[in-house]
Amino acid sequence: MDWLHNPELLARAQFGFIALFHILWPPLTIGLALVLFGLEAAWLKTRNVFYYHQTRFWTQLFLINFGVGVISGIPMEFSFGTNWGPFSTASGDFMGNILGFETAMAFMLEAGFLGIMLFGWSRVGPKMHLFATGMVALGSTLSAFWIMVANSWMQTPAGVKLLDGKFVITHWFDAVFNPDLPYGFGHMFTACVELSLVVMAGVSAYYLLHRRHVDFFRPALKWAVLALFIVAPLQIFIGDAAGSALADSQPAKLAAIEAHWHTNKPGAGAPWALLAIPNQAEQKNDWALEIPDGLSLIATKTLTGKVIGLTHFKPDDQPPVWTPFYAFRVMVAAGVFVAFMAFWTLWMLWRKSEHMSAARISDNKWLLRGWLLAIPAIYAAVEAGWLTREVGRQPWIVYGLMRTSEGVSHLPASAVLWSFTMYALFYGVIGVAALVFASRMIREGPSFGDPPHPPITAHSAPARAHAKLATTEGP
Amino acid sequence: MDFNNPQELHHVLATVWFLIVGLFMVFYVVLDGFDLGVGVLSLFVGERRRKVMMASLGSIWDANETWLVVIGGTLFGAFPLAYGTVLHGLYIPIILMLLGFMLRGVSFEFHELSKRKTFWGAMFGVGSLLATIAQGFALGGLLNGVNVVDGVFAGSIWDWFSPFSLIVVFGVVAGYAMLGSTYLIIKTQDDIQANCYRRGQLLAWVMLAVGAVVTVWTPLQFPQIFARWLSTPNRYFFAVLPTLAGLSFFMLLRALKRQSEVAPFVWTMLIFLFSFAGLAATWYPYIVPGSVTIDQAASGTSTLVFMLIGIGMLIPVMITYNVYQYIVFRGKIDPDAEHAY
Repeated sequence: MDWLHNPELLARAQFGFIALFHILWPPLTIGLALVLFGLEAAWLKTRNVFYYHQTRFWTQLFLINFGVGVISGIPMEFSFGTNWGPFSTASGDFMGNILGFETAMAFMLEAGFLGIMLFGWSRVGPKMHLFATGMVALGSTLSAFWIMVANSWMQTPAGVKLLDGKFVITHWFDAVFNPDLPYGFGHMFTACVELSLVVMAGVSAYYLLHRRHVDFFRPALKWAVLALFIVAPLQIFIGDAAGSALADSQPAKLAAIEAHWHTNKPGAGAPWALLAIPNQAEQKNDWALEIPDGLSLIATKTLTGKVIGLTHFKPDDQPPVWTPFYAFRVMVAAGVFVAFMAFWTLWMLWRKSEHMSAARISDNKWLLRGWLLAIPAIYAAVEAGWLTREVGRQPWIVYGLMRTSEGVSHLPASAVLWSFTMYALFYGVIGVAALVFASRMIREGPSFGDPPHPPITAHSAPARAHAKLATTEGP
Repeated sequence: MDFNNPQELHHVLATVWFLIVGLFMVFYVVLDGFDLGVGVLSLFVGERRRKVMMASLGSIWDANETWLVVIGGTLFGAFPLAYGTVLHGLYIPIILMLLGFMLRGVSFEFHELSKRKTFWGAMFGVGSLLATIAQGFALGGLLNGVNVVDGVFAGSIWDWFSPFSLIVVFGVVAGYAMLGSTYLIIKTQDDIQANCYRRGQLLAWVMLAVGAVVTVWTPLQFPQIFARWLSTPNRYFFAVLPTLAGLSFFMLLRALKRQSEVAPFVWTMLIFLFSFAGLAATWYPYIVPGSVTIDQAASGTSTLVFMLIGIGMLIPVMITYNVYQYIVFRGKIDPDAEHAY
C-alpha cells in the first residue's frame, strides 16, 4: 500500500473522490431547473393545476440534489488552496479569477433566488416566483459554464505564458475561450439536460410500472422521451466531435482512451480496439478485439488518417491507460443505450396509435424497465466521462505546462490521509441519506395540494382538470 | 497617485481588492455568523424550539454561506499567494470547518425530510459548533502568524493551535452566539425571545473579555504592531475603533435590557464591524499577518482590473438580491406553521 505514504497520490485520490462525488448531484439540478422553469411557465400561462403539481413534484427531487450538490462542492473550491497550494499560486491569475466569477456571478445568483423558489410560493406573486425559478436555472447554467472554463483551460491552456513559475495571462479571450471549451461545456451541459430527462423518464416509468398516478406520469414520460429523442443523439454527436478535437489538442489522451500504442504508418489505417487488455509496462495490448481502420475513421473521418500512438510520448508523459480506456467505453455504451431507449419509446408511441397523445406506452413493461435501468446507466456515464477526461490529462495538472507533481502542497501524508478519510466518511453518510430520502419521496409520490396562487376563475376548465386528476389517483 | 507607474497602479488595485475582500468578510461574518450562532444555540434547546430556530434560517442559510464561497473565489483570484499558503497552513481547521458546514447543511434538509428529527437536529447543532470552533482556530492561527518563506508555507501543520487561538475560539463562539441570539430576538417571540435577551447579557461580556485579551496580546507579541499603535499620531486614529466598539458594547447591553427588537442585532453587528476594521488596519499592508503583503500576494495588474470590472459591477447586484430575499422572508416565524417545501 505504497500510495498511503505518497502525498501526491493521496491528494489526487482525494480530489478525484470529491469531484466524482460532487458531479453526481449538480447535473440533475442544472437540467431539472430548466424543466421546472418550463413547467412553471406552463402553469402560469394555462393556470392548469396539473402543471403546478408537476412543478412541485419535481422540485422536491431538485431540492434533495441541490443540498448535497452545494455542500459537496464547497470542499472542491477550498481543495485548491489546501491541497494544491503551488498550483493555486501559479495559476491564480486565471483559475482564481474564473472561480471568482463563478461564485460572484453564478453561485450568488442561484443562492439569492433559491430561497424564494423553494419557500416563496405564498410570499411573492406568481410572476416573481417564475422569475426566481428562472434565475436559479440561469445561475446554475452559468455556474457550469465558468467551472468548465476553468477545467477546459487545464486541458488546453491558451492565452498564457509561464513566467518564473507563474501563469501570466497574455490574451484573456484566448484563455477563456480556449480550444476545449466548446466541447467541454457543450458536452457537460448536454449531459446535465440528458441526465435530468432520463431521471424524469425513469421515475415516471417507476410509477407507470406500479400503476400509480398513471395520468400524472404518462405525460411526464412522454415529454422526457420527446426531448431525449433530440438530446441523446445530439450528445453522441457532440461527444464524437470532442473526440476528434482531442487528436489535435490532447493526442496522448486520445491514444490512452483508445489504447492505441503505435502511430499508424502512412497509407495504413489505425484499428479501433473495441475491448483490450492494455499492458503499459510493455507498451502494447496483450489482447485486443479490433475493427480495422476504425480509429482513423472515428478520429479523422478518413480510413487512413494518422492517429498518434502512445509510444510517441515518453513513458513519463503518458497517462495511465486502463482507466480512460474502460471508462470511455462505459460512457459510450450508456449514451447509446439512452438514445436507443428514446428511439424505441418514440417508435412505440408512434406505432400504437395515430395520435401519440393516446398511446399507451405504460403497458409495455420491458420498455418501462429499460427506463429504470437508464437512470444508473446515465449516472455511470457522467462518472465515466469525468474519469476519462481527468485521468486522461495526467501526468499534467495544466496540460503540457505544469505537472501534477509540481502543483501539489507539501503536506504530511498523514494529514492528507486524515482529511481523505473524513471526507469519505461524510460523503458516504450524506450520499446514502440523500438516496434514502429521494427514494422515500418517490415512494410517497406527488401530493395534490391547492396552489397558493389560485387559478384565474374558480370554476374554469383547469379546476375540472384538477378534480379529474384527484379521482384517478391511487394504485 | 501616479497611475503611469506600474508598481503604484498595482498597489492601488491590490488595496482596492483588499477592501473588497474585507467587505465580503464583513458580510460573511455577520450573516453566516448569526446563522452558525443560531445553530450553536440550538444545541441547548428542545426539539420544539429547535424547529423554530431552524425554520428562521431555512430560506437564507444557503445565501449566507455563499459569501464564504465568494471570499474563497475572490481571494484565490486576487491574492493567489495568500490563498495557497494560508489554506495550506490552516489545513486542519479549514477541513474541520468544511466538514462542519457539510454536516449542518445537509441537516437542514434531512431534519425536514427524516422521521428522526432529534438526530438530524442535533447534527445541525454539532455541525454549526464544529464550523464555528474551526473558524476560531483559523482566525487565531492567522493572527498568530503564518510562516511563509519564498511563497511556500514553511511552518508545521499544527501551528494554528496555541493558547492564543484557544482564546480566539471562545470569542468567535460567543460572538456568533450573540449574533444568533439577537437575530432570534427579531425573528421569534415569547419564551424563545425572552431566553435570548437573558443569554445576551452573558455572551456580551464574554465577547468583551476576549476582545480585550486580543487587543492587549497582539501588540505584546508583535513589537512592530506595538510601535505602530502607539506612535503619534497613529494612536489617535487607532484609539477611535476600540472606543466605538466599546460604545457599541454599552449600547448593546442597554438595548438588551430595554428589550428592543432590532437594536441588539445592529449593535452586535457594529461591534463586529469595528473589531474587524481594527484588525485590518492593524495588519495592513499584510494580508498574511507578519509574512505576506498585499502587493506580494496580489495577482497581475490585468487580472485585478479584469476582476474589478466583472465582479466589482456585480457587488451591488449581489447585495440587492440578498436584501430582497430578506425582505421577502421578513417577519416573525410562526412556530406552528408546517415548514414544507
